[in-house]
Amino acid sequence: MTRLLTLNGIYKNYGKKTVLSNISLQVSKGICLGLVGPNGAGKSTLIKIIASIIQDYRGELRFSDSVRIGYVPQDISLEETVSAKDNLQFFGRLYGLSGKALKERISEVLKEIGLEKREKDKVQTFSGGMKRRLNIGCAILHEPDLIIMDEPTVGIDPQSRQHIFQMVDRFREAGKTIIYASHYMEEIERLCDEAAFIDHGKIVENGTIQQILQKHAVPSIFVKGGNALPDKINEFGSVAAKNGGYIVQTNRPLDAMEFVLQFYKEKNDQLERLELVQPILEDVFFSLTGKELRD
Amino acid sequence: MQDRGIWFWAIILPIIFTVLFISVFTSGLNETESRQVILSIVPGYTVMFVFFIMISMAESLLKDQKIGMVARIASTPLSNHFYLLGKWIPYMYIVFIQIVILLLFGKAVYDVPMEQPLLLMMLAIFLTFMVTGIGLALSVMVKTTNMGIALTQVIALGGALLGGLWVPVDMMPEFLQAVSRFMPQYWAHQGFQDAMAGTLKMADFMKVSLVLLGIGVAGFILALLRPKQ
Ligand SMILES: Nc1ncnc2c1ncn2[C@@H]1O[C@H](COP(=O)(O)OP(=O)(O)OP(=O)(O)O)[C@@H](O)[C@H]1O
Ligand SMILES: [Mg+2]
Repeated sequence: MTRLLTLNGIYKNYGKKTVLSNISLQVSKGICLGLVGPNGAGKSTLIKIIASIIQDYRGELRFSDSVRIGYVPQDISLEETVSAKDNLQFFGRLYGLSGKALKERISEVLKEIGLEKREKDKVQTFSGGMKRRLNIGCAILHEPDLIIMDEPTVGIDPQSRQHIFQMVDRFREAGKTIIYASHYMEEIERLCDEAAFIDHGKIVENGTIQQILQKHAVPSIFVKGGNALPDKINEFGSVAAKNGGYIVQTNRPLDAMEFVLQFYKEKNDQLERLELVQPILEDVFFSLTGKELRD
Repeated sequence: MQDRGIWFWAIILPIIFTVLFISVFTSGLNETESRQVILSIVPGYTVMFVFFIMISMAESLLKDQKIGMVARIASTPLSNHFYLLGKWIPYMYIVFIQIVILLLFGKAVYDVPMEQPLLLMMLAIFLTFMVTGIGLALSVMVKTTNMGIALTQVIALGGALLGGLWVPVDMMPEFLQAVSRFMPQYWAHQGFQDAMAGTLKMADFMKVSLVLLGIGVAGFILALLRPKQ
């Protein structure tokens, strides 16, 4: 795969505080890279460096050829007192579009973000989801090659979220590269090929989602039945109560299941559920960044 | 910009102050003395009140910062000075209209003279340029609206006091008279007064214009030098 972007030893301070420390990362063309990490980890700062908003950092940032960037800010950065169309017009001009080309792009984008019927309405009358969609729309007018989205789905309903997912899918089909910051691990699993975990300004893990899951996620089984599990189950791994049953985290899930089955057979008791739980990225997130609160 | 309240601060309030203070300061004066006071107060209060636009400018730029608009614009190919110009120009319109209305009010109600209308017009433009230039510099430097309001008050009221907008400069103690020369308000006020009375000499007009334009340009450059983040 061709390389689009290389970050090499990036450092960023705010005053005495080091916000990013030795960030090195490669982004291949056409992939979706998830950027994950707790509040204050440094995701937005890294994104702003890539979008050339922050220019006073140390380290190397290199694009392999001329790349048009679309930046979707974490905040809803729109002029709320004017219409959706006016906002698109404003940003279109900033990106150097004008005349007929601008007009065409605006109507394409309005359709893309599902706001063609509300184009004339003031942004302040929009729902959270509509604002989020317009926030994206304002960043894609110039048909960027790299779209950087900083938590684009915060505070919206499932319909808008689904719409945004489908937009990301379409961007990918069109061959665009995407950097997607989010706290929602299921979004990263759904949308991204690769992920970089950031904590306290450092990359603590990165690779394809598959690699990361294989490396960090401990498989587990879920047991629900009439009986408390015998102490011997602890030999397989850690046990925690969940949803009226037990989650057993273990590297030997099949053995653990066999043990539970045997136990219930001997008791001749009712076993409600026994299942293998697929590891998910959320577990990796906690195992990499811990559970204590940030910021 | 969308804020209609701005016209209250820019027009109505200065008119109320002008009327109020003219009635206070001319009571018991004869006709000639009254004319003199009015000729000082009308342009003086105009010069004083135009400075309050800086609060609106600071508010607007801070809001852009807060909602990430500044960062967002910085991510586009457009450079920073286009953004600043885009912010600046609308306020120039407002201030210019403000000056024109306040002077025309003086003409209509108090029949102040306007002997050198062309020079007056140019001074109005230069004053507009200067005030909004300072406003731009202030706007990129303050971190909060309150700081913007506080600094605006210091600049507007301090400059009004020291620049002789309230008390004529020749009635001030000597060392304060020297300080007056450093107040942009002083130059603007003198220029306006003379152009209204018809006594503004070309050399003085040039001097005043240079001071006003120079400060305006300095404000823009200061604003530009300030990094975006
Ligand atoms: N302009 C700034 N001045 C000083 N400190 C800042 C500034 N911007 C960010 N920081 C600090 O840098 C750190 C990283 O912030 P950043 O916004 O990059 O985190 P994040 O991972 O995006 O967090 P979140 O998930 O909350 O958006 C935080 O501790 C934050 O307080
Ligand atoms: Mg962030």
